[in-house]
Amino acid sequence: MNTNQQKVFLVDDDAVFLKLLAIDFQLQTDFKVWTFETGEKCIENLDLQPDLIILDYHLDGVEKGVMNGIETLDKIKEYSTLIPVIMLSSQDKIEVAIDCMHHKAHDYIVKSETSFIRLQTVFQSIFNVKQIEKKLNWYMDRM
Amino acid sequence: MEKTVNASALKTCLIDANPNALMIIDFKGNILEVNQKLLSLFECKKNSLRHANLNDFIDEPDFLKKHREIFLKKNQSEIDTFLKLKNQKISILLNSLPFKNEQGKVSGAVIQFKNQAILESNCICNSEEKTSSKLKSQYTDLSSQEISSRYARSLIEASLDPLFTISVEGKITDFNHASLEVTGLKREKLINTDFKTYFTEPEEAQKVYQQIFDKGFVDAYPLVIKDHKLTAVLLNGSVYKNDKGLVIGAVVVARDITTQNKIEKELIEAKVFAEKATKTAEDAQLKAESATQIAEDAVKSKQQFLSNMSHEIRTPMNAIIGFTKVVLKTVLDEKQREYIEAIKISGDALIVLINDILDLAKVDSGKMVFEKAPFKMSFSIAAMLHLFETKIQEKNLTLIRKYDEDIPEVLIGDPARLHQIILNLMSNAVKFTNRGNITISIDLLSESKKDVTIEFAISDTGIGIAENKITSIFENFQQATTGTSRIYGGTGLGLAIVKKLIESQNGSIQVQSVLGKGSTFSFRLKFLKTNENVETILPYFHKEDQIKGIKILVVEDIPLNQLLMKTLLDDFGFKSEIAVNGKIAVEKVKNNKYDIILMDLQMPEMNGFDATKFIRNELKSQIPIIALTADVTTMDLAKCKLVGMNDYLAKPVDEQLLYNKIVGLLKNPNNSLIPKNAVIIENRKKCINLNYLMTRTKSNPLLMSEMISLYLEQTPPLIFSMKESFASKDWKTLQMVVHKMIPSFSIMGIDNQIEEIAKSIKNFAEEQFQMNDIEDMVYQIESVCLQAFEELSEELKLIQLN
Repeated sequence: MNTNQQKVFLVDDDAVFLKLLAIDFQLQTDFKVWTFETGEKCIENLDLQPDLIILDYHLDGVEKGVMNGIETLDKIKEYSTLIPVIMLSSQDKIEVAIDCMHHKAHDYIVKSETSFIRLQTVFQSIFNVKQIEKKLNWYMDRM
Repeated sequence: MEKTVNASALKTCLIDANPNALMIIDFKGNILEVNQKLLSLFECKKNSLRHANLNDFIDEPDFLKKHREIFLKKNQSEIDTFLKLKNQKISILLNSLPFKNEQGKVSGAVIQFKNQAILESNCICNSEEKTSSKLKSQYTDLSSQEISSRYARSLIEASLDPLFTISVEGKITDFNHASLEVTGLKREKLINTDFKTYFTEPEEAQKVYQQIFDKGFVDAYPLVIKDHKLTAVLLNGSVYKNDKGLVIGAVVVARDITTQNKIEKELIEAKVFAEKATKTAEDAQLKAESATQIAEDAVKSKQQFLSNMSHEIRTPMNAIIGFTKVVLKTVLDEKQREYIEAIKISGDALIVLINDILDLAKVDSGKMVFEKAPFKMSFSIAAMLHLFETKIQEKNLTLIRKYDEDIPEVLIGDPARLHQIILNLMSNAVKFTNRGNITISIDLLSESKKDVTIEFAISDTGIGIAENKITSIFENFQQATTGTSRIYGGTGLGLAIVKKLIESQNGSIQVQSVLGKGSTFSFRLKFLKTNENVETILPYFHKEDQIKGIKILVVEDIPLNQLLMKTLLDDFGFKSEIAVNGKIAVEKVKNNKYDIILMDLQMPEMNGFDATKFIRNELKSQIPIIALTADVTTMDLAKCKLVGMNDYLAKPVDEQLLYNKIVGLLKNPNNSLIPKNAVIIENRKKCINLNYLMTRTKSNPLLMSEMISLYLEQTPPLIFSMKESFASKDWKTLQMVVHKMIPSFSIMGIDNQIEEIAKSIKNFAEEQFQMNDIEDMVYQIESVCLQAFEELSEELKLIQLN
């Protein structure tokens, strides 16, 4: 296995959508993908050091008493502010988007048939910025 | 002898002329001979040196011993060493060469003391010295202190970074060459000037040395040197002290960081550029996406327009054709009959065209749904060919049929679409053939456990198609020659529809043609096998079987259609009453007794669905209801079934079909659309469509089955929660549950309208405004999900079998 492989967490309580997203990743990217159906499981596995987390906004849809997306997001940020988190929701509402951004989400994407394309652009830009930062640090070290 | 004397005197001269001090000693160190320079070095007269020993003059008693050992034992030819003389403070370099007697034995040595003055001027080299020792002697001739001092100095001078030493007052006391370079001044101009004046910010520079004297050092302090090009530097400095530990000044190193700054700037620029590029790429992608969206929307709206137009045209055509048929049944004179026939033929042609356009739009928008019903292939083909018999006879052609007897009797497929395909190809064949024959052959190509592949071929001996036109004949509104439509008529939609119908069923079509000789169109389709038996639909249209005294309620808002329906029913000998909308219909059903209801779907006040629901649920009546619909889409059918209608009829109403359906329902009220047994389940239109999933998973069966299994696992609890939360008015849960269901509809290719219904439920649950049909909507979602569940279970089995 390629050790430089980027690690991605997908978190969604909708198993069907989650699987489809995982399949998209499997077929179209080199990323190593973990899927979790609850925020709790995602938090438990943060030690795996994901490079990116894609998180559903509605994690407490049917199952009661579990963390919702924002709570999970806060927990992730508590663990490390460096992991970019992209929020996913089927709600195309500006308040939801703002809520996510206030909780330091990297981006907010509405679930649709094309959301994977949107996602691809977003994580492309995330990894580009990461690479640039790495390069910058490399130069800084040598100054 | 004179010669000898002269030679001896010359030798003495030679020795005296040597700028270095020379002495000749024997082994014991006894001085045998010296030159003038040596006398001045030792500060003595020549006489006092007679019988003197080297040891008397040097500070190292062991020297002679070592000296002798080296020459005797090690057989070395030369010695260079430092030696301290008694009358001198510093060590001096001496060079010793042994000399041998007549027997070749070493008997003494010539010792040479290097003249410091010569070395310092760096110009004269002792001719006796070997080149290799030159450099060594140049350095070693200096005092060791001076050597290290010089060495340090040269290191300082070699540094590319400007170095300064400054006094406590901030005056420059020393500096290196690089400082001259950077300030562009001469040595004399620089010394004893104020250090701070060489920087763009003198106050800052002053702070630097103040800090050095306060703290003892400064680290990486950024300043700019006021030279001709404003060099950015980082200052590092520390104090230096005298022997007593008092601070007497500071050493400051200015590191030129222009290059670093440049790299940093470039890097930042690169970063900004990269970010910009990313942004541009993102924008471009968004642009492309929106362009695609616009293009897709344009296509969709075109289709929608065509579909709407066709629909709007069809409604009045319905009346025109219907009444034409009615008029044809009356007594007419020959001329009148001819004109009316002409109207009917034109009307029929127009309806065919409109249906074609609608079909194309449906196929293009993916709305075309193929039935999976058991049917008898041979019977179906024979019935259709029957339609062409008159035409073929009129044109004096021969029809040759070849039917492969191995084809299973009953197959599962869409007989109506097969009809449409063969009808189009046959009418083309008949149209373009003026003499000869038309051959239709149906062959079993392959057979597996589950299905059969059948090839249908229709050959004619007609005008044929030019080779370069063969590819374009399947395009919309294209015919083989532009003149074709003028001579033979037609719109050029037929083959386009045929191709799309075949390809939508995963079949393929081919054409072979020779211009002037004829064409062969062949296509292949797959049909599922079945063990079911299909009862051949018996034509009910026998006047002698007529059922008398039937009372029919026609629910229809358009007066022309009311009249047409009434005329038709009168003609059948049925009594009929009209209700102009659902509300009136419900009232009438309440108060009167009818045998059957013909229900239009779109009506003001109360539409056909609501009226049927009311009749079934409130009036608890099981009276047979036949829906009349202008556009048969999946949704309408599903809705018809859902509200409890027994059957449907597409407008324009076919007289014979109407009669058959009415009589069929009256004879056997159970023969309805509502699924009660397996055969009818097969008849249902599929609610799922796996195309999307197949694209996404690249048809990987493993991924497909994983996805479907997940859906099957997830859906039942969701349906349960939906029903329960609805029943217990737990709106929050209802909203959440429906919300979670929504993405799966599009994934499983379930009709968009279902998703819209789900969204309405969600909105309702969120805002709880009054909505009457929310219960129906929940029921509808449930039934669609259950159907999808069944169908997906089937698909899963199929996938896993493969």
